[in-house]
Amino acid sequence: MKGSIYKVLGLLLVAYSLIYGLLTKVPDLPIIEESIRNLFYHVSMWFAMVAMMAASFWNAIRFLGTEDLAKDRRSISLAEMGMFFSFMGLFTGMVWAKFTWGAWWTNDPKLNGTAITILIYLAYFVLRNSMDDARKKARISAVYNIFAFVMMIVFIGILPRMTDSLHPGNGGNPGFNSYDLDNGLRMVFYPAVIGWILVGTWIASLRYRLKALQE
Amino acid sequence: MRLLVRFFRQEVRNSNVLFSLGLYLLGVSYLIYLLSGSTPSNSAWNTLLWVVVFFGSLQLSSRSFEFESGPHFYYFQTIANAKHTIIAKMLFNVVYMMFLSMATWGVFSVFFGNPVYNTVLFFIGLILGATGFSVVLTLTSGIAHRTKGNSMLGAILAIPLLFPVLQITSAINLQAIVGVTLTDAANLLGTLVALDMGIGLLAYLLFPYLWQD
Repeated sequence: MKGSIYKVLGLLLVAYSLIYGLLTKVPDLPIIEESIRNLFYHVSMWFAMVAMMAASFWNAIRFLGTEDLAKDRRSISLAEMGMFFSFMGLFTGMVWAKFTWGAWWTNDPKLNGTAITILIYLAYFVLRNSMDDARKKARISAVYNIFAFVMMIVFIGILPRMTDSLHPGNGGNPGFNSYDLDNGLRMVFYPAVIGWILVGTWIASLRYRLKALQE
Repeated sequence: MRLLVRFFRQEVRNSNVLFSLGLYLLGVSYLIYLLSGSTPSNSAWNTLLWVVVFFGSLQLSSRSFEFESGPHFYYFQTIANAKHTIIAKMLFNVVYMMFLSMATWGVFSVFFGNPVYNTVLFFIGLILGATGFSVVLTLTSGIAHRTKGNSMLGAILAIPLLFPVLQITSAINLQAIVGVTLTDAANLLGTLVALDMGIGLLAYLLFPYLWQD
């Protein structure tokens, strides 16, 4: 019963953000117009992805410390969930980019960062599939996971701040804080982030248990 | 240190590898020359240079642990511990890749001219870039060799991880071509130095987990 509290909470928050995100009053902005509502769906995907990848990274470190295969199963389940969020974030972002910037794909540091992240974690899955021995597989892929996560943070967190971007808050573009005078957007955005992280954790834990049963 | 000498000796004995790399360099540069003529723009020159160095170093690193991870793996473990191995291997690859990028620069100067205005900055960028390349590639080729899988795996693992290093380095080199002074590029240089040191330290810490059975 206790364990299901966060699941119910996650579902409620996601349902709230999905429904109320369409109903709430949003600031009237040029170019972006009503598509500002995508903030709730698009940006929250990235927050959830980074949370999943960070948890996967943390479990990889703990695996190297303890040699406990359960940690490895957690790590891969969370990485798979993070991958799902990154694809969802990519698709919602592409729709938004078509509407506001006029193209599905632009040469923007954040988009490049996404592409790299997806390539890195696909390589991680390929690496896992190329080995049979469970312990060796876990150790080697944990090493790659740790290294890859650090590179990903450098690429999506540090480099974009050094170059111009079409995204808000970079290269002279105002961030969302300046659009949002009444904090109305935040009332939906933060619950959406928390809700998706909780639901992501839930699905990852289901996958983790499935893997434990398969082995 | 003894390991480093040993790696170099091994390389000299296997000199056909060095020759094949040189031949790759000449062949690819001439291919570009045939296709694009002798006057690429500055940014195209820089891009082509880095593409050639990129694939050259991938090829180079794919055989980085060829000797140590093969039938000699257990023997090698008795003569050197993992931490010494990774340091020696990284230094070896740094030297090798600096040599590769210098040679590429030289060959490009012959075929396409040398548009670099600030030579010192370009040189520093090349060295730091080669360092970052070799750190990433040493670790990923170690991983690829431990899986005993296909040779493609090393490239698959390394390519996305090389992008951050590649992006900063090529930005520095583009600035050197248009003639930005050393102090103006200090921000980018500092980032690259920090990145090189960070990933070097990370590779050093992680390698012992990789190098055991």
